[in-house]
Amino acid sequence: MSIELGHFSLILAFAIAVLSTVGGYAYWRSGQRIALVLRQGAVLQFVLVAVAFGALIQAFVVSDFSLALAVNNSHSLKPLIFKISGVWGNHEGSMVLWILILVAFGAMVAAFGRRLPNDLMALVLATQSLLTAAFAGFTLFTSNPFERVLPAPLEGNDLNPVLQDIGLAIHPPLLYAGYVGFSICFSFAIAALISGRIDQAWARWVRPWTMLSWTFLTLGIAMGSYWAYYELGWGGWWFWDPVENASFMPWLAGTALLHSALVMEKRNALKIWTIFLSIITFSLSLLGTFLVRSGILTSVHTFASDPTRGLVILSLLALVIGGAFFLFALRASSLRQGGLFAPVSREGALILNNLFLATAVGAVLVGTLYPLVLDALTGTSISVGAPFFNLTFGALMAPLLLVLPFGPLLAWKRADIVSAAQRLMAAAALAIFVAILVSALGGVALSLAPLGLLLGFWVAFGAVAELIDRSKLGRIPLAESWRRLVGLPRTAWSTAIGHFGVGITVLGIVSTTAWETELVTTLNPGETATLAGYTIAFDSFEQVPGPNYLSDEGRFTITAPNGSTRQTMADRRTYVASGMPTTEAAIETYGFSQLYLQLGEPLENTHVVRVWHKPYITLIWLGTILMALAGVLSLTDRKVRVGAPRRAAKPVAEPAE
Amino acid sequence: MLFWLIVIAVTAIACAALFYAAGPRTVNATSAELDDANSHFRVVLAGIDADLAAGKLGEAEAIAAKGELAREILKLKADAGRAAGTLRDMGRGPLVAGILSTAVLALGLYGVLGSPDMPSQPLAERADAAAPAIDLESAVTRIEAALTANPDDLRGWTVIAPVYLEMARYGDAARAYRRVLELGEPSADLRTSLAEALLLEADGAGSPEAMELLAAAAASEPGHVLSRLYLASELTRLGRYKEAVDAWNAALALSSGDEPWLGAAREGLAVAQNDGVAPADTQQAEMIGQMVSGLATRLAESGGSIEEWTQLVRAYLVLGDTAKAQAAFDDAVRAYPQAFDRGDLDAVALGAGLKLNGATP
Repeated sequence: MSIELGHFSLILAFAIAVLSTVGGYAYWRSGQRIALVLRQGAVLQFVLVAVAFGALIQAFVVSDFSLALAVNNSHSLKPLIFKISGVWGNHEGSMVLWILILVAFGAMVAAFGRRLPNDLMALVLATQSLLTAAFAGFTLFTSNPFERVLPAPLEGNDLNPVLQDIGLAIHPPLLYAGYVGFSICFSFAIAALISGRIDQAWARWVRPWTMLSWTFLTLGIAMGSYWAYYELGWGGWWFWDPVENASFMPWLAGTALLHSALVMEKRNALKIWTIFLSIITFSLSLLGTFLVRSGILTSVHTFASDPTRGLVILSLLALVIGGAFFLFALRASSLRQGGLFAPVSREGALILNNLFLATAVGAVLVGTLYPLVLDALTGTSISVGAPFFNLTFGALMAPLLLVLPFGPLLAWKRADIVSAAQRLMAAAALAIFVAILVSALGGVALSLAPLGLLLGFWVAFGAVAELIDRSKLGRIPLAESWRRLVGLPRTAWSTAIGHFGVGITVLGIVSTTAWETELVTTLNPGETATLAGYTIAFDSFEQVPGPNYLSDEGRFTITAPNGSTRQTMADRRTYVASGMPTTEAAIETYGFSQLYLQLGEPLENTHVVRVWHKPYITLIWLGTILMALAGVLSLTDRKVRVGAPRRAAKPVAEPAE
Repeated sequence: MLFWLIVIAVTAIACAALFYAAGPRTVNATSAELDDANSHFRVVLAGIDADLAAGKLGEAEAIAAKGELAREILKLKADAGRAAGTLRDMGRGPLVAGILSTAVLALGLYGVLGSPDMPSQPLAERADAAAPAIDLESAVTRIEAALTANPDDLRGWTVIAPVYLEMARYGDAARAYRRVLELGEPSADLRTSLAEALLLEADGAGSPEAMELLAAAAASEPGHVLSRLYLASELTRLGRYKEAVDAWNAALALSSGDEPWLGAAREGLAVAQNDGVAPADTQQAEMIGQMVSGLATRLAESGGSIEEWTQLVRAYLVLGDTAKAQAAFDDAVRAYPQAFDRGDLDAVALGAGLKLNGATP
């Protein structure tokens, strides 16, 4: 019965979403009553979809194989955590997760947005309900997760072994929270276009949602990258795979949106551009959904290749994006531009940032879609690979990173570039010195690596330079500097930490690309190999049964250059239900570097063992965690929460300079 | 029945919640809105004053900024006035109609899509799950358990031995057949089966014991074909072509003319008579040689996919030309320095004893 109640809940949520859409667009001018109804509707949608999702989880946990979804994606022997995460390790279930997050954001707007004007609230929630109705309808009519099987089979077909990993419990919810979170910005943009209300207050309401979604998306992408790194057994952390690009484009656009919303909030400028970016960012999220679910691409992410679904999603995509841009074309000209500023100013720097990021989105979009379009039109299949992306994307990012540290040091409206440059002198000198030092120690042949390092250090030190500058470190007593540092607004810290994170990620990318070493060899138990000063001894090899797989385990002892030893295990698993093999690499972290060891196919009387030494690779993900942390920090700033600056009880007085 | 009661109750609660959300409250929507916007403008104004005090803005600039702010406030006031004028009232009628149609839509849609009569069937509560279907694996496990308890059970060993052979567990099969031979009467069939298990376990490498068994089986039963066929092919493999020819002839002599193995036996005889080389092989080898050298030249001149390199290395290995295989492998590694680009090639090459020169030790 619980399954059917879940089914009904999803249908009722769909019906309420339809009501909210129609009612919201028809009566958005009717003041508080419609806003109250829509807020109640948003909360109800969330509760009902949560019940539906809970019913699916329950069916998976008790292995109820009268549910077709459980038959196709579960197995009674699976560990509990994978039974639960298996709910969204497939097309239908992940759509329900998608809808759950969509309505959760809607409910959050309803709950936290009490101060929103009624007409804006009604339009935002109506748009949000339109999206819910569209996606819930798509799910119910083309890919119903509540389909039943009679008679119920005794055992399920198990989940794709690659997905039976803790990563599945973390990566999709984070990523979806990011993707779907941008729907709020989209809804705000549509509301602004319909009502014609677009002012600084609007930007202040939108920015926290952008920040929240961007933080989730950052973590989601980083988690996906690390998962691919440790699970797929190639030791690569980014492949420019179309599916990765599909998540990266909204991130780039979202990063641009984050910065342009800042300009709009502080200076009431860039209004139309901000609205445009809000629409673009969510459209790119939808495009990602379409690419992944239409069967156009083949990868771990393509759950269902069903042309009907693809067509329906394409129509949804056309409707939402097309409708939004139609509205944009209709109304954008009637919006007033505001806020004048000189080219050299904080606003100017942020526009530069937006230009580069938007161009990067364009480059990635072309690289991702061109082969697909060419294939569809002419049947010629080409692949646009890493070289294209590395070249175009790298060429766009390098100048962006070069000017990045200037941004926070420039004043709003009109700034002095010379004084900003002076304040960055120390950071630049330090970056050059360290980059040369590291290059010398690392032993680089003539290549781009030292330049990459220079950029990474420059961005990282430049971010810190702003904090040092504002705390007047070295120019006033240390205790006073410390007080100033602690007293800086959280947004200043957030900016510095976020930009520092970018620098750290760049350093990780450059060092692991430049100095990675690998070894492919055959080993038998008892033999040893060496790589980059590490000695790897193959201790034993045996077959061990796991909960729902058989495991060929190779045990290794790794001796680090400093003499310390560690035991580690790499295995190849064969899953009982599907007979599919997976490899689990052994990864040992030394400082920021990692030793990545993978057991290849067993040969007649030996084993192929692949070992990579990846210097400073963890910096890539540590940097992204710092960026996400910056997002969280910014969200906790009082200014964002209540729309007021710091109370002046304990003033951090800025004496005239 | 209970299910429908719950469904109707849920629908009713949701509808009531929506209806009473718009309860009879009197509010002045526009004033709340303006309050909020005004608080924002106060913040901006304070910011301008602070900038002025800190010397970040000049006097003139500050006045201009305040002017801009004032225009913004005036515009908002004008907009609010206009909006108040166009307020459309939502009466109870549309609300009730909307809520009712929501309930009808939900119930109707569920009627079409749902399966209200189908109960949940958790695995733990299912009666049919109590008698698990017996598959081969679990049957074998059961017989094995019985044989561990009673190792002298001739019938058990007789049943399980061919199953092991079927499951490609050749070592276990040989052990089981040995046990059958110990416990019961040896026969030509049993000896041949044991020899077959031994040969398969050794991956066709043969063993003196298997030869003895086959010879004993052939000797014990003059009309036993299978043992003679095995014997003949073993002798051919060992290069004892004279004896092999006799053995093939002996087996062929037992045929009645329509056995499925006849073709293979005649071929075997021809190979044995030709001193181990299949008559067609010489031509074929020449053709293969040409194809391989063609591929090698093309790859050397214009490069190719990793699959083609793997094919080339594999071809040299099959032809037994290890030196050329190594050279081709080295070229392939130069063309594809990243291990994961090379796919199966490393496994193929290293498995055949080639060395990876490109790797840093």
